[in-house]
Amino acid sequence: MTKEAETNRYDLHSRSRRILGLDKDQALKGLFGGNALVSIIVLALITFFLFKEGAGFFGQYRHEIELYRRSGLEYVEIMKEESSSYTELNRYLNSIKGEHATMLKEQGLSFSEAKAELASYEDFIYDFEDLGYPLSEYVLEMNEIAIGARDMYVESANYREHRENLLALGRDEEAAEVEVLDVDLSLFVGMLKEGEPDFLAINDKLAAGIERLTSDLPTIGVAKLDEKMQRFRQLALMFVAEMEGYETRLKEWDSQAPVGMGVAFASFVFGKDWVTNSSIQDWYGILPLFTGSLLVASIAMVIAIPLGVGAAIYINQVATPAEQNFIKPYIEFISAIPSVVIGFFGIAVFGEFVRRASGWAIFSGFDIFPISERLTAFTAGCLLALMAIPTIFTLAEDAINNVPKAFKEASLAMGATRLQTTMRIIVPTSLSGIISAILLGFGRVIGETMVVLLCAGNRIEIPDFTNGVATFFEPVHTMTGIIAQELGEVVNGSIHYRALFMVGMVLFLLSLLINYLAQKIVLKYQISRG
Amino acid sequence: MSATATLRKERPVEGLGFHKKPSKAKSTERAVFWLFRLGTYFILLCASVIFLTIIFKGSQTVFQSSFPFVNVEFLTEAPQTLHVFEYEGEKYELSDNNFRAFEAERGVEIKTDTYAYSGGGIWPCIVGTVLLVVGAMTIALTLGVLSAIFLSEYSKPGKILNAIRLSILNLAGVPSVVFGIFGLGFFVLAGPIFSFSPFEGYDFQFWPLPIYFGFAGWNVSLLAGCFTLAFMVLPIVISASEESLRAIPQGLREASLALGASKWTAIRTNVLPYAMPGILTSSIIGVARVAGETAPIMFTAAYAMRDQLPWEGLEKWSDFFFQGVMALPYHIYVVSAKIPQNEYTERMQYGTAFVFLVIVAGIALASILLRIRMRKKYRW
Repeated sequence: MTKEAETNRYDLHSRSRRILGLDKDQALKGLFGGNALVSIIVLALITFFLFKEGAGFFGQYRHEIELYRRSGLEYVEIMKEESSSYTELNRYLNSIKGEHATMLKEQGLSFSEAKAELASYEDFIYDFEDLGYPLSEYVLEMNEIAIGARDMYVESANYREHRENLLALGRDEEAAEVEVLDVDLSLFVGMLKEGEPDFLAINDKLAAGIERLTSDLPTIGVAKLDEKMQRFRQLALMFVAEMEGYETRLKEWDSQAPVGMGVAFASFVFGKDWVTNSSIQDWYGILPLFTGSLLVASIAMVIAIPLGVGAAIYINQVATPAEQNFIKPYIEFISAIPSVVIGFFGIAVFGEFVRRASGWAIFSGFDIFPISERLTAFTAGCLLALMAIPTIFTLAEDAINNVPKAFKEASLAMGATRLQTTMRIIVPTSLSGIISAILLGFGRVIGETMVVLLCAGNRIEIPDFTNGVATFFEPVHTMTGIIAQELGEVVNGSIHYRALFMVGMVLFLLSLLINYLAQKIVLKYQISRG
Repeated sequence: MSATATLRKERPVEGLGFHKKPSKAKSTERAVFWLFRLGTYFILLCASVIFLTIIFKGSQTVFQSSFPFVNVEFLTEAPQTLHVFEYEGEKYELSDNNFRAFEAERGVEIKTDTYAYSGGGIWPCIVGTVLLVVGAMTIALTLGVLSAIFLSEYSKPGKILNAIRLSILNLAGVPSVVFGIFGLGFFVLAGPIFSFSPFEGYDFQFWPLPIYFGFAGWNVSLLAGCFTLAFMVLPIVISASEESLRAIPQGLREASLALGASKWTAIRTNVLPYAMPGILTSSIIGVARVAGETAPIMFTAAYAMRDQLPWEGLEKWSDFFFQGVMALPYHIYVVSAKIPQNEYTERMQYGTAFVFLVIVAGIALASILLRIRMRKKYRW
């Protein structure tokens, strides 16, 4: 095969014509080889390019986080946390009142009567809310300062760059006209720091106020609600205890602490927020997208694995030839439905169907139903399952088909039933193939874009797994979805653009890993065919 | 299968003196097999529901009960705004062009409710999709098939070849959206441009020739979309073509070489003809994939709305390749997710989805049928 030199020595025909010292065969080989080279270069280029564009991300992100710290925004963020946990307390208190109100309504009281009932402790709630005002106002004020400082700094940096560009182009006169303010961020941070005693005073007052108010809790007269009131007292006292922690964090905070590459990396990989185009601070944490992708993919796989593998077993072992000839092409044909059509079906028909179905009487026993959202992880998961089934089915069926006939015949001859043969001989023998089929199906699901973009609800938040089954019926956002949604609007070379490339790279590596594993498993656990 | 069938037939029946099978095992078997059967038919049912919904609702848009039975406007016009109004007691639903004609004819101005994207048709989308598919497949097949011939016939087997094969196989599983961002970053923003006149952002001139070169980007254009799609299917085309080439028994090549044929003659006469159906099938699968993908063209080639057809309003020939086009999959995305929903947009959605499904499913069906026929034809 490979010794073309020898072949050609006796090949009189090709020796006769030579162009540029190459005979026809060599020229053709060159043509094919050139094409192969181009293809390989192109495919390598894709990998290289993704890495190149993504690599710039961490540097820029580190710079952003550094600015976030230097300008004191991080400092304000700590205060904000405290303020928001106080708001949380308020919300809890109001929820007690709300519950009481609905309770009274159900008892058949009129609006004014109910209002009179609630009035007994309304003052308490208002007092509690009022206690928090100094804190939230102070935080707002500080926030303004920090944002102002940051914006001024960024603006001056832009001007400086503009001037340097002009100088580089040799337009000195224009450059001289560009005024650049030197913004000293430490000045602003100093202002923030100076206010710390004020903040501490506000905190002390708040703590004293909370203790005073909670020592004299109003009683509602309903056992369940009074219990909640007690719980509220505990929460409020816990908040007071936590204030110490915020204060020490503020004290220990240092605007000049170095921001390393590790921080940027951790903030991307473990970051819980993906916030873009925010006026305060953009965050690029992949965790909510990653968990979203994973959640949707797991729902899809939970549905697709039993159906796909079951169908493969059925078709190969049980079905009559007529069924085989019809079902196999049909399932293969499903994989030809374009994903955008399936997504459209989800948005137009299936999402609404799921919401309606969740209101059916048979589901009334579960308190999570009926669901209010139309587009959720579950909707997308079901549709993706349909897309994964053909992949799983085709490959698993191939794997089952490759089991030597003798295995099956031997088992049947031993007196095993067909089910025993299938489950104990055929499936274990072809297990490596089935697993790799499942992995490839998973790869297809996690890389699918249009269905999740259209049907997953696109809410960027880590699904709250404490909700149990209800988690599956929450809208999520996914890695593929975010690329498709946001890539059209980003500025070339900006940090947002690079962040999306990083997400793409994560997807790329993930799919390579899945493919690689699938191939490894097939090779490694292949049972010798005797 | 036939072995099982005969086995079933010849299984000892009662009265032969053998121990009867424990009935429990039999009944579990039956129950489990029924479960599998139900699962299998459930898959078919789900798929059928999708097909039937889209076919049923879509055909209402595409076909009509009166002559010429096909909604010609839907298939030959560009998407337009729909005007819904009442005039002299009758209710009219007219797309923008017809509405203007209607007004001009009557010489009146009518106040109407307007619905974006709900009137007209999808002709530019069909044209755009066809252009993208043709362009992408030309690139992918040229590169892919020739590379496959090289890899399977000319290259020396070894570690490097295996590594290349493995990486091509791996790339075939990379999500299409990743190719999309690659296309955006590489072709749209930094595609190489040659020009006879200096343009903004050119890097250097092939002195003394008046040819300027620079990585200025191709913008959102047909060319960028074709290349992105081509590179997306390239791994699939290469690995599928190579597989069908390698499936040809060595003996055919060897016999041909033994008769004194040159390498190329052997390949041309004894390998390619038998591998051709396989290559053809793989390329048709590639076509279906290229036509069906949305994510790669979202940022590289597709416009949500474009009034002119690709061959209209060109200043020079090269503009043809450097213009964005409308495409069916992207149009479905736009009308189903990006515009306010109402009963009139629904017609457009289902109509587009129907036409798109028919095109893509038709291609896929052709490849499946071809494959079945081929399996019967060539068995080594």
